[in-house]
Amino acid sequence: MKRAGIAISSCFALLVSACNSDRPEIVDRAAIARLPWENVVRLARGSAVTWRMWRGDPSINAYIDHWVVPRLARDYGISLRAVEGQGPEIVNQLVVEREARARGVADLVWINGETFHNLRKAGLLWGPWAGRLPNAAALDSTSPIVMRDFEQPLDGWESPWGRVQFAFIYDTVRTRDPPHSFAELKVWIKKHPGRFTHDQQFTGVAFQTALMYSLSGGAGKFEGGFRPALYKAASARVFGWLEDVLPDFWRAGRDYPLGVAEMHRLFANNEIDFTMSYNQNEVVTKIRQGVLPPTAHALVVTDGTLANAHYVGIPFNAPNPPGAMVVANFLLSPEAQYEKLRAEVWGDGTVLDVAKLTSEWRSRFESLRMDSHAVPPAELTRHAVPEAAPEYRERLADDWKRLVRDRAR
Amino acid sequence: MTVDKHSTVGLILPALIALPPLIGLGYAVTASLGLVGVAPGGSTSRYLREVIANHTTWAALGWTLWITIASTFLATLAAVFLAATFRAESKADRFGRIVAVLPLPVPHVVAALSSLLILGQSGLLARVAHSAGIISTPAQMPPLVYDRLGVGLIFALVWKEIPFLALIAFTVLKNRGGMLEETARSLGANGIHTFFYATWPVLWRGMLPGIVAVATFVAGSYETAALLAPSRPLALPLLTMERYTATAMDLRPGAFVLAGFTLLLSLAAVAAYGATIGRTDRLQ
Repeated sequence: MKRAGIAISSCFALLVSACNSDRPEIVDRAAIARLPWENVVRLARGSAVTWRMWRGDPSINAYIDHWVVPRLARDYGISLRAVEGQGPEIVNQLVVEREARARGVADLVWINGETFHNLRKAGLLWGPWAGRLPNAAALDSTSPIVMRDFEQPLDGWESPWGRVQFAFIYDTVRTRDPPHSFAELKVWIKKHPGRFTHDQQFTGVAFQTALMYSLSGGAGKFEGGFRPALYKAASARVFGWLEDVLPDFWRAGRDYPLGVAEMHRLFANNEIDFTMSYNQNEVVTKIRQGVLPPTAHALVVTDGTLANAHYVGIPFNAPNPPGAMVVANFLLSPEAQYEKLRAEVWGDGTVLDVAKLTSEWRSRFESLRMDSHAVPPAELTRHAVPEAAPEYRERLADDWKRLVRDRAR
Repeated sequence: MTVDKHSTVGLILPALIALPPLIGLGYAVTASLGLVGVAPGGSTSRYLREVIANHTTWAALGWTLWITIASTFLATLAAVFLAATFRAESKADRFGRIVAVLPLPVPHVVAALSSLLILGQSGLLARVAHSAGIISTPAQMPPLVYDRLGVGLIFALVWKEIPFLALIAFTVLKNRGGMLEETARSLGANGIHTFFYATWPVLWRGMLPGIVAVATFVAGSYETAALLAPSRPLALPLLTMERYTATAMDLRPGAFVLAGFTLLLSLAAVAAYGATIGRTDRLQ
């Protein structure tokens, strides 16, 4: 049987390598770790870089395709191509490539949390390399949210790119007095039956994780790795809380929207009164795109809202690590981080410590006008809590499906 | 170009076409046994047993079967009705045939979005009901999308499959229907008798391969289910994808087991086709 598996893998290798024959390997991987930065740039010049990333948001796509791509071509002669693929798909793709002993397709991958955890565990990342980027010197190195990915040390295996924070979105006209804590939210849901829900995917699990922190004495309790006993007690509180309010959920908690896109649609069409996003500024970009009404506003609860950073990594079989490193370094430059932070572009938080920048860049960052629909930065920072070990999220996602969704009345 | 089916090329060509899906099938089987994939742990039937023991699997299978049978049946019924109605060479009938196949090039995802816009609790129907004073809030509109019966999903699938089946039905009737019907009529059969004893037997035999194709497509269709299906029971393609992209890596081999179940569903449709054709051939 094992032989059958190998035979299948070999056939697969043949197919995959046939597709990749136009992408020559640029350099001996091990040697890059020792090269001076100028040599890395020299090797990257004129090369092609493939970046596997989530392509589901027009604002992000526009930033990459119309701002990052032309600048990399102009400054380094690098031709950057962004292709679709996120989280678990990246892991699946790399596993298949390794089994097929095929040369890789992606040079750079956009990852964080569980994906980073799984990629590291399976040995699917190349590194360490991120500490060598010159622009990494300006990173906000005191922030646990940036420098630890769901409690995992980065150790140079991925380079920070941006940071986001969970926020509820409500309509200031429809909901004049929104809840500001999970306790108030419970009261609100019971008072407004059928007007609240969460999605079945990433953002819904973030909501449950924040609820778990709130019901169990705060995020601090969950520091220090995964503890099954703590999870058991904390998750029981989450499911108890949900059990209590489910009859007053949208569709009485029997059905759930698949993802945030469906949540936004239900909210915009006045079927529910809250949507959510794991980007505090999504409200601004989605109003600009006409997805959300102009009266929409972001909201964070005072119990603490999850914040995390997202990163770029280099796969173990990337054909062009020098090119990927130069792209990652460019993404950390003040100009690239500033552009990304602008609400009319993407509204993605910076991972740089602005105090470490030149006075010119410092004043540019500080003068960025706050959009009136967003939560003020000081308030965001005050209520930000980091993600716990990825196992908490994995277990919560799985148990919610098993105990709540699939058992719905 | 014509290919002699006894030549080497003629023999290799089908094999070449079948090769990629066969490799995929081989990979799925070995991955579901834990031999390859993200969570390989040596040959084990653990994943197979776990998927079989899970009630979610059977709920998904049953629900997908319901959607497959209901939408294929309704689309067939509508296609037969259209073919029987617009079959003459008159201008009006030709126009009717063109209109009937018009949705053919529309992508399934557009059909699903249209279904959402029409049937959603804040959709067109709900807005009409609201203007007429029948409902005052979206929640009062009966759920027709993300609903247990899959009304919105069936609506989208039927709308998309009617033109495909109607096209086949039009062709079958044009090529084979006329003479038998004329004979029936000349023997004194009325309209209804002619349809049931002359038109229908020709029609269903000709349409059967198309019906099987529609059923197998519907059983594995992901995007329409993603946009319109409820969260419980989860449609089989959604459950498969959820497990394939789960963050917990030991859930993923189960996705390949579920993909195998979808394949079995499709094979069952093809086997039923083979048996039916074989039986009627023997009878004839």
